[in-house]
Amino acid sequence: MLRAAAQIEKMGIPTVSLIGNAFMRQADVVSRGLGLPLAYAEYPGAPMVDGVEELSTKVRNTLAPGVIKGLTQGRDTPSTASVETEPAAGSIVMSGTLDEIQEYFYRKLWTDGMPIIPPTRERVDAFLKFTDRDPGEVLRVVPQEGREVSILSIAITGCMSGCRPEYMPLLIAVIEAMCDPEFHIEHCGSTPGWEPLVIVSGPIIKQLDFNYGQGVMRVGRQANTTVGRFVRMFLRNVCGYRIPPGAGDKGSISFTFNVALAEDEDTARDIGWPTYGMDQGFKPEDSVVTVRSVVAITPPTYSAGDEAIDHVQQFADVMGATFTYWSHTGMKRGFWHPLIVVGPSIARVIAREWSKEKVRNYLFNKVKVTAGQITHYAQMTSTPTFSLPRLVAEGTLPKSYHESDDPDRLVHVFIDEAMTGILVAGDPGRNQSRGYMGNHDQGAPTSRKVMLPKHWQTLLTSRG
Amino acid sequence: MSDTSHNEPRYDVLWPIPRRAVEDRACAPRLPDLNGKVIGELWDVIFRGEMIYPQVREHVRAKFPGAKFVEYSEFGNFYGPKGEAIAATLADKLKAHKVDAVIVGIGA
Repeated sequence: MLRAAAQIEKMGIPTVSLIGNAFMRQADVVSRGLGLPLAYAEYPGAPMVDGVEELSTKVRNTLAPGVIKGLTQGRDTPSTASVETEPAAGSIVMSGTLDEIQEYFYRKLWTDGMPIIPPTRERVDAFLKFTDRDPGEVLRVVPQEGREVSILSIAITGCMSGCRPEYMPLLIAVIEAMCDPEFHIEHCGSTPGWEPLVIVSGPIIKQLDFNYGQGVMRVGRQANTTVGRFVRMFLRNVCGYRIPPGAGDKGSISFTFNVALAEDEDTARDIGWPTYGMDQGFKPEDSVVTVRSVVAITPPTYSAGDEAIDHVQQFADVMGATFTYWSHTGMKRGFWHPLIVVGPSIARVIAREWSKEKVRNYLFNKVKVTAGQITHYAQMTSTPTFSLPRLVAEGTLPKSYHESDDPDRLVHVFIDEAMTGILVAGDPGRNQSRGYMGNHDQGAPTSRKVMLPKHWQTLLTSRG
Repeated sequence: MSDTSHNEPRYDVLWPIPRRAVEDRACAPRLPDLNGKVIGELWDVIFRGEMIYPQVREHVRAKFPGAKFVEYSEFGNFYGPKGEAIAATLADKLKAHKVDAVIVGIGA
């Protein structure tokens, strides 16, 4: 919203932005990142829980006077953002013992709350040896704070997160994917508190020792764990998404980082399914990362039987129940992206009869919700004016979402079957799968090939 | 890295935050008197703007009877699926409506 205001201010037209008072500190971070002291009008509290009278009182007494003040006088409240002079990129910021560094970084809000690996010049240089790119190369200037994403900043963040230097090519690919405009990195601090998930495909899985089997989404394997931590550290330090006492991250309850997910490609190949990387348009020999949002995780979905339908029916019932509620956010944008992680033993049964396309098609046709229920969910969240007929009329949703005005009519939870990602991972000795729900077009799946340095094998061998 | 007298290693560490690459600038000049001015509305179609905007309009008109409004429906939802397209046409639309100031909402 403030980005729209900034666009208008740059045209020479004054603006005032309507903001809930709990968002003021985040607004300050964004405003400073845009380089403009934008004017706000404050709404006290949360408008979604106020009665009509209370809302009118707040508008009359606070918000509307703030609008006038913002347009006639300027900023309603002074910025609380820090304006201290900053060191140069790559300069030494302090010298200290391990404990002193941990304390200093923690107090500066430069950690994720856990101890970091001190980013010494030597350690960071070890990361830079694993790329042929210039440390000063800037990939993009990113929100919230308007900072440069450089190769050096990726190396420092990777070091602090406990990554091994040889992860550097993969870390660069992760950040390139997150810098893709389709990913919408500017919404990583939104209130649903979604978290990016890195999916790793191709030979790099085994080269860097990612876990793709039992316990795949648990911390413990260094590659999976630290790559996941790296993403969260990047969002805090480079983008400026920090929870209190920082600002910028407005996740209401949120959850913490996802460890990176790697596919059991041996099983995928064995059963004749394309790998997840191939589904993204890459060759089997390409090493690829895909980054996508996760806003909800389904229960562990156990299924039994020796026919495909036994399992896919269970996906529809269990995962469908989790996906249904939040799918209204996707309907508002005509896009959301579920991910089904199929346990290897289950994938073997399904693949004997069904292709991935058939699984997607089944879920699309089977998982439905009534128009009245999904409208209710949307109205409860943020959008009292939510209307499936309007979304159809605008071309956001297909006509099937408004075949009648009956509130009991069923509409698809999965908007387009092609949006469903499927990959194989987990314990081959058990019959469990799980679903991961994306947050509509925020964190839409974006993929990048991992570009290895010229002497990759030699460098890798030197690391043992 | 150097050793202290207690043999505890010390580390020289790099600043972990990259360079801020934004040029600070002033906002557009304010309008001390909104009489005779055209105020545009941008709404992201959330957080009860359908109730809030009309009341804001009423309040502004009470103080500045000559203020005119171009309502949010003229511009579309800049936060919806067509947000980028709407942002791309915003300058032309603001010009066409001779908009002098804009209310943008709602973040909550």
